[in-house]
Amino acid sequence: MIRATDLIKNANGARILRGVSFEVAPQTVLGIIGASGSGKTTLLRCLNGLERIDGGAIEFDSIRLEANLSAAEYSRRVKGLRKKVGTVFQHLYLFPHLTVLANIIEAPTHVLRVPKQQAESEAVALLDSVGLKEKARRYPETLSGGEQQRVAIARALAMHPALLMFDEPTSALDPKRSAGLRSLLRSTVSRGHTMVIVSHSIGFLEGLADQLLYMEGGEVVESGAAHQILNSPRDPRTKDFIEQAK
Amino acid sequence: MLFSGNVSAQQPLRWGADPSGGAPYVYNDPNHPDQYIGYEKEMVDALAAAMGRKPEFAPSDWETLVSALQRKSFDVIVNGLEPTSDRQKQIQFSKPYYIFQLALTVRNGEQQIHSLADCKNRVVGTLGNTAASRLLQKENIPMRAYAEPLTAYRDLELKRIDAVIMDVPAEVFYVSKSTTLKRACEPFFRGTYNVGLRKGDDALKTEVDAAIDKIINDGSLEKILRKWGLWNDAQLELQKPAKAGEKNVDVGYDITSAAFNWREAIWRLTRAAFVTVLIAFGSMVIALVLGMPLAIGQWKGPRPVQWLCTIYVEFFRGTPVLVQLLFLYFGLPTIGLAMPAWLTALIGLGLNYAAYESQVYRAALEAIPRGQWEASYLLGMGPVLAFRRIILPQAFRIALPPMTNDFVSLFKDTSTAYAISVWELATAYRELANASGQFLLLGVAVSLYYLAMSLPMAHLARRLERKLQRREAIEAVEAEIN
Repeated sequence: MIRATDLIKNANGARILRGVSFEVAPQTVLGIIGASGSGKTTLLRCLNGLERIDGGAIEFDSIRLEANLSAAEYSRRVKGLRKKVGTVFQHLYLFPHLTVLANIIEAPTHVLRVPKQQAESEAVALLDSVGLKEKARRYPETLSGGEQQRVAIARALAMHPALLMFDEPTSALDPKRSAGLRSLLRSTVSRGHTMVIVSHSIGFLEGLADQLLYMEGGEVVESGAAHQILNSPRDPRTKDFIEQAK
Repeated sequence: MLFSGNVSAQQPLRWGADPSGGAPYVYNDPNHPDQYIGYEKEMVDALAAAMGRKPEFAPSDWETLVSALQRKSFDVIVNGLEPTSDRQKQIQFSKPYYIFQLALTVRNGEQQIHSLADCKNRVVGTLGNTAASRLLQKENIPMRAYAEPLTAYRDLELKRIDAVIMDVPAEVFYVSKSTTLKRACEPFFRGTYNVGLRKGDDALKTEVDAAIDKIINDGSLEKILRKWGLWNDAQLELQKPAKAGEKNVDVGYDITSAAFNWREAIWRLTRAAFVTVLIAFGSMVIALVLGMPLAIGQWKGPRPVQWLCTIYVEFFRGTPVLVQLLFLYFGLPTIGLAMPAWLTALIGLGLNYAAYESQVYRAALEAIPRGQWEASYLLGMGPVLAFRRIILPQAFRIALPPMTNDFVSLFKDTSTAYAISVWELATAYRELANASGQFLLLGVAVSLYYLAMSLPMAHLARRLERKLQRREAIEAVEAEIN
């Protein structure tokens, strides 16, 4: 169970998050939607510990992040949190000096100390599941954008995270590839992962997200079951956004 | 004739000499630094008076006096110049005005050295391009050439060399009051100081010779020499033949012939090239190793560390490497840290280039997107692991081309070691070319040496760069085909 309570985040004198609260049940998908500048990417960076929160709390199973923790304690807990959370950035940030395979086994072998052979066979299986088995020895820059994204997903999955987070996963994909990604993510969820997906593409989230959360100006305007938000939004602002997005 | 005679009488006597460390010949008056003093300064005043001219001093550099004379920077050299046979090929000489001997100086405690022959396996310091340096070369005694007597004697005191051989006038000036140095033996060897003139300036030579005769015979030269403590009975020999109207007094004194030997020169250049390579590689290792903590300290360290690293970098980049070397070589011994010249050059250039390498590293590290760090952190890596495995390898590729450039320029900067008398290529060139006048051919040879060393290095770096890129390039081509 992931729970955020009254999250507050300030940056450069401005309040980016103004008391954001939500819950994600295990093995479900939460989609976070909203216009750019609504604070959804910042929310994601708070959830994986890249940004420190200034108020409220984040709970993930037994780990609890609070604003008033000491810096050392906060980063200790973030370390624990990151063992459970995998992130795929909008810009992916694959390691350009390593092959696809080396990208995937880098953290398992050096952080989890998995033996190299075992890590490699696991990586090959992961690459197989994302359809890139034959590109294991290639360098990332020689792959297409969609292929690179699947490498990034495999790299995150190799650390066996309970929660997988995506920031704008469809920004570089055409509609056909988006559909492919959606089915890949669906099968990933069915294997027991929980997901948080930040996206402005409602079409992508439709049929993938169980819950939706609409943000505006650093606040949650509306959240609930995906079909309810999409079909009968209660707040006029949500309604406007969804109509424009469609 | 009368007219031209008048003109020449009004022309000043333009004389060249090196006043830096030039005591007691001609040097800056310590009490009035804008004035020059010295026994030769007084002698030139007397000569000029005898010629009915006004003396005009052109401060110059000892090593290039002959070529400066040929370029007409002045008309005569008066600087304790010996009429060596190699110089006689380039310029002509007046009759001698002083008979000098050489003095061998050692430290007070020295027991082994009692003559020049005892120095066969020792290092002897002297001024570059002098009769003394030719003598050492001829006798095959390991030599270190200095630009000034003072630095030679100081290195002797610091045990960087085992003995110093110097013309007696300089030796009297610098050593007679020393409490740490002594003469190893009685002065030996005899040579003469003559006025140097351009070939073809025969009228001037006649004029100068007559003036020398005049100041010898009327006793004014003797008075000057006595005043400076340089008079001895040997000088009487110059009076005798002059008084008897004889000529060619200098024949007996020209013992200093060092005919130019190309094989010898190439061997000495090769030795210099090895020293250059040693200094370049040694200092590059220091620079590469020390540059990294500097870069990281300046980039991510706590405030005080950032400050210290910035001060280091700005100090070494903002002051000339030449000054840094002089400071290390002459300044550090005063706090008890005396290193041999080659080691000083190696460490000095290393410290200097570490400042530059740190900036190359820093720029390369900062060029890696923040996302690479964040992606590493999110995969559970700590900062050290992320730096070592993810950031550093990417930064290395960015840093490689500027690092190569720096190495090539470091290679050329080894020539600054000339200032502290390291026998590297630039020193060798100056020394050999000044001794032989073969500036052109030796210059070509030295350039070839530099190129022979720097080109393979640039080539190697290019190959390394390409190797790093090749893997990716092959992949890219494959991707194109698929």
